Amino acid sequence: MSKVVGLPGVPKNRILASKEAALFRTVLQLYETRQWKRGLKTADQILKKNPDHGETLSMRGLILTNLNRKEEGQECVKKGVRMDLTSHICWHVFGLVHKADRNYEEALKCYTQALKFEKDNLNILRDAAHLQMQLRHFDQLVETRQILLKNRVNVRQSWAAMAIAYHLNGQLESATKVLELYERTVKDIPPYDPEHSEFLLYHIAILEEMGSHSEALNLLDVSAKSRSITDRSMISIFRARLLHKLERSEEAREVWVSLIEANTECYDHYKGYLSTQSLDLDSQDSETRKLSMVTLRRFAEQYPKAVAPRRILLELSAGDEFKEIVEHYLLHGITRGIPSLFADIKDLYVSPEKREVIQDIVEGIRTKLEKGGTSSEPPTTYIWTMYFLVQHYSSMPSTIPHALSLVDEAIAHTPTLPELYVAKARALKRTGDPLGASATMGAAWRLDLQDRFLNTKYAKYLLRAGFIEEGNKTLGLFTKKGASSPGADLEDMQSFFYMLEEGDAQNRAGRLNLALKRYHTAFKTFDDVEDDQYDFHSYAVRKYTFRTYLQFIKVEDRLRSHPAYAHAALAASKIYIRLFDSPKLASPTAGLTDAQKKAAKKAKKAELKQQEDAKKASQPAATDDSEVAAIKDDDPEGLKLLAAPDPLDRAAKLLSPLQQLRPELLDTWLVSYDVAIRRKRYLQALKALNHAKSIDKNGAEVHSRVIELKTKGTLPPSSNPASQLIPADQSLEAFNSAFLQRHSTSAPHIVAAARGMVYIRGADGPRADVEDLVFQLTREEVEADVPTSLQALSFLRDTLRSSRVEEFRVACDARFPLATVFKDEKSSPRFMHPECSILFNPVRTATSQRSWRCDVDTFIATGVEEFPCILY
Amino acid sequence: MSGTPTTVSPSGTKTALVPRITTSAITINNLGTVRKLNSVIFPVKYSDSFYKSIVQPEVEDYCRLIYFNDIPVGTTCSRIEKGSKEGESKLYMMTMGVLAPYRNFSIGTAALDEIILAASTPPPTIDAKHPRITHIYLHVQTSNTDARRFYEKCGFKVVSEVQEYYKRLEPRNAWLLEKEIAPPPPPDQP
Repeated sequence: MSKVVGLPGVPKNRILASKEAALFRTVLQLYETRQWKRGLKTADQILKKNPDHGETLSMRGLILTNLNRKEEGQECVKKGVRMDLTSHICWHVFGLVHKADRNYEEALKCYTQALKFEKDNLNILRDAAHLQMQLRHFDQLVETRQILLKNRVNVRQSWAAMAIAYHLNGQLESATKVLELYERTVKDIPPYDPEHSEFLLYHIAILEEMGSHSEALNLLDVSAKSRSITDRSMISIFRARLLHKLERSEEAREVWVSLIEANTECYDHYKGYLSTQSLDLDSQDSETRKLSMVTLRRFAEQYPKAVAPRRILLELSAGDEFKEIVEHYLLHGITRGIPSLFADIKDLYVSPEKREVIQDIVEGIRTKLEKGGTSSEPPTTYIWTMYFLVQHYSSMPSTIPHALSLVDEAIAHTPTLPELYVAKARALKRTGDPLGASATMGAAWRLDLQDRFLNTKYAKYLLRAGFIEEGNKTLGLFTKKGASSPGADLEDMQSFFYMLEEGDAQNRAGRLNLALKRYHTAFKTFDDVEDDQYDFHSYAVRKYTFRTYLQFIKVEDRLRSHPAYAHAALAASKIYIRLFDSPKLASPTAGLTDAQKKAAKKAKKAELKQQEDAKKASQPAATDDSEVAAIKDDDPEGLKLLAAPDPLDRAAKLLSPLQQLRPELLDTWLVSYDVAIRRKRYLQALKALNHAKSIDKNGAEVHSRVIELKTKGTLPPSSNPASQLIPADQSLEAFNSAFLQRHSTSAPHIVAAARGMVYIRGADGPRADVEDLVFQLTREEVEADVPTSLQALSFLRDTLRSSRVEEFRVACDARFPLATVFKDEKSSPRFMHPECSILFNPVRTATSQRSWRCDVDTFIATGVEEFPCILY
Repeated sequence: MSGTPTTVSPSGTKTALVPRITTSAITINNLGTVRKLNSVIFPVKYSDSFYKSIVQPEVEDYCRLIYFNDIPVGTTCSRIEKGSKEGESKLYMMTMGVLAPYRNFSIGTAALDEIILAASTPPPTIDAKHPRITHIYLHVQTSNTDARRFYEKCGFKVVSEVQEYYKRLEPRNAWLLEKEIAPPPPPDQP
């Protein structure tokens, strides 16, 4: 955009007097150098004389958008285009404004217009190519790149960009031709030129992808010999793979061996080696497994320090052989004091047999150590053995009490190992005692305030236990000091952990607005990551990282398959469903007690004050010409999100990426169903349910929804595949009771059948036997866990409005004595953990103006001795 | 922990791991560990001013957390007292303790050696502001013969038996043990 010259044939209204023309050039310069305020003044100067000058209007608008006067700026840009429809500058600017607004489709349209009037403007062409890349319009991209290449034949990057465009558009043949042509034209490249090396590797990768293995190998060998490829391990990896594909197994094997020698811990190298023997590690075939084991055992012997072959062997072996290998593996880990030993091997627990073998071995080690007295083993071996056993027993609900007694023994032995408290906290969490868990995590945290892992863990457990403010303050010990709040800094740092945990905590506390707010921050982060890739379209080509760039494009294509997106999208959708079901929740104080309301008011006041302080502090700095005030969040409390008139549409929008990218996730389809049935999209609902059923055939969650759909949905009888869900000759009642009989000892299924009964009888049907059914959960022989019992409790309370809620709570409390979630807050003394009471003494938080830092000191001071949380 | 050093005997066969004993300074951040250890090891409850004093920079070399295979298992805390002359000071060892299961692994000896070494290293210039440590001394309860033997092994000598030293513990008497630190050798003549 830097050159604007009055060419012959330009419309009259574009031509400026020489003084103004000079001023316009200044405007362009000022814009490029980001001196927006001066640029604006200069533009106004031109407009005084030529109020309808389109290009100036456009530039003025562009500058305004950069000064955060977006709407005014866009208006001005539009006016500029109207005034001068044939100016490429106007269209280019219009495109830039759209692009800044993340409106890539519209931006691309504007660029296409601009190119009509300025066919070979390289800047516009390049920008257009990046937009086409961002939008994945590969066919258009190829055309644009062709023009660019024609114009800049002498630039290396044009060739690479051309090949990438062909490659992405599926024209592999053309891509290789471009690269060949390029390689033939360049001369006198010094050996080991990293950029040329990347070119060649990219070329080889495409050839491999095309299946031209011998050509690829040829190019690889020639290039390696002529010292053109710098990445030596890449040469070997490509070589091994290509030789294997060319069925030259013997040679391939040799290369893999050299790779394993160089890095004995890379699973891929072992997999590659095995593939040359036509062995596949993922195969369940016993013969294959046996042969793989022979090979891996040889490697294990050859490299006594290598962990990878041994770890793979644990996966493959069984019986006595497994026992022998795992014993050595465990003993090694425990005597070395490897803290992650359990995390490393717990994958093996999918096999109950292996689980038992491991338990026997480690129990054996423990007995030996306890009997041995002062043997040669240091006491740390004993403590790591105990630590392993605690985690082991904590991994099964039925043995958690044993884990808890073991961990207390271990803590009495060595009270300074934070890992023990972490394991104990985790066990408590699993028994349904979030309070005890957070207090115990606090004990670990207090041992080492410099440990960021413990700090974050502690904060997470505080959030889980509902101490949101305290959790945030704890996080604040490690966030940027100048940030307006710890949360603000963590959101800046795109910490999904924080957004999700804080969102969940607010959700549990009934502050749906704040929960939605946090989840939406996560969504925004995904949008940001998606937008951020824009810069890489030029950067990656400039830096010659083609192969990585293409991998990166694939990752971006599947961005929202990330677990954090699924978590946030499902949770937010569930809130939107709740908002649709009971719109009165949309008033932010609904469901809060008076005390909570008061606290909320206070918090708001404090926040306002903080904001004002921040404003005061930042004011003097804002005088710089280029400085622009940050955009303010116009909905810091999430109240606008809460009051959205279209909650279900929003939920549907959030769920659609999951349906594409996470179809294997049961919740994707359950929540999609929940949204669809409320939107009366019965076919969609049915489809979702069929997906869900294919994932979990006998699922409790699926069952109650099948009945709901049958009772609520009116599907066109001709296309009624609902009959697949329920046998045609069966009544709903019969269907429900048959289901119940099949799963009469499974708590989730019983709750599902109870829900089914409510659907069948309608909202006002009799309730007594539904209640009785839920009370089945309190029977010994029914396998119930804490989460399901909690669900049943809320089902009794919210759906049935039962009078027996209290009775059920007491029964659950008796059944899960370690859980605190069923405790009566007022009457149970155990509910008040001593640690919690000093931590969260309401009197102190109400009266004290002391800082958190000071509070931390008080903990350390009043500390552990008086309140030994490990002993409660 | 993957970096655990192994000792390989000359023949190349692996022998048992040698336990690592290390120490680190006590800071405001690991004070929680120190408190935890003291509460388990000692029958006395220490005051806040005690904990404040041990994180001061001037006693950094003498107030240490002791680690065994990277797990904190003991502490030792001392204070610097005025000496009899200007330019001299005494080191008083207030506490020294190791968790019960970790005793008899020479952990205490290693820690004490470190402190003696630190005390024997004089400041570059000795003056009123930078005094030299002439003695290390401490009290041991008269029932604790193990401790007495331990300190005697490290070169401490019983100077006296202090009557009624402990107000709230039985027996109330304590031995006073002391070790003299040799003055630095005179600087070499050029």
